[in-house]
Amino acid sequence: MNNQLKVLRAMRNWSQAELADRLDVSRQAVNAIETGKYDPSLPLAFKLARLFAMPIEEIFDDGHEGHDDGE
Amino acid sequence: MAMKDMTMVNEPQDMHRRPGVLWPTLITLATVFLMGGVAGYLDAHRADGGDGPSGLVAGGLVLLAGVGVMWLYVRRFPLFWQGWSRRKRLYTASIAGSVLLGLLTAILLRSGQADVTADPFFSNSALSPQIAILLALLWGAGISIAVFIYQRTIDDHEERAYLWAGLAGYYAFVIPAPMWWVLARADLAPPVDAMLLFGLTIITNALVYLWLKFR
Repeated sequence: MNNQLKVLRAMRNWSQAELADRLDVSRQAVNAIETGKYDPSLPLAFKLARLFAMPIEEIFDDGHEGHDDGE
Repeated sequence: MAMKDMTMVNEPQDMHRRPGVLWPTLITLATVFLMGGVAGYLDAHRADGGDGPSGLVAGGLVLLAGVGVMWLYVRRFPLFWQGWSRRKRLYTASIAGSVLLGLLTAILLRSGQADVTADPFFSNSALSPQIAILLALLWGAGISIAVFIYQRTIDDHEERAYLWAGLAGYYAFVIPAPMWWVLARADLAPPVDAMLLFGLTIITNALVYLWLKFR
């Protein structure tokens, strides 16, 4: 899953370690999310959304265009 | 400006820096090797009829010295670890506790066996009953407590690594164990060695965990 974490972090001039401290996770967790090796759990995704004051779907992109209306 | 400058002058240089990886690694390695070397030398010396403290005592003292040196290093960065969350403190305590437990187990294994020339970790040579009971209690209680704290304090990235590593370790046991057992019953293989299977499980677990956590 693609995400904007690296860009959002760079805009705030935070290191991976600083972001990890703010999320109360390890630096390796931040690195793994940024490089797409790990998709965060829903609680962690919400934590990220609150920290950056953005909707989850603006931070993470699952590659699907538009909304799924179930048809 | 003057106040700011004064504050910066008075502030210890290390207050905002993070401890690196190099020194803790070097301190840990030096402690482990020194501990093994001193304990091994003294035990062999005593087995040859020489005097001196037992390897257990000397190894324990080296371990304490290593912990002391590590503490002296870490305390140079007070703001770094004082700002940690409760989760991170407990997590670090569980890891540090497990490492100390491992080192203590190694000293006890090395010093508790009658045959000092036998390999302490890969032989089945006799242990003194006191050391055997102590080791069993240390492993049973110590690991249970450390794992209980660890599992409640890891973040979900590490939890994923830990769970997959646990599953890989499980497969590393359940696949070869019955194969070996049936082959041994037909005299096509030596008798099943539980500790060898344990070692295979632990190594598989560690490799998968390290790969998923640090790749």
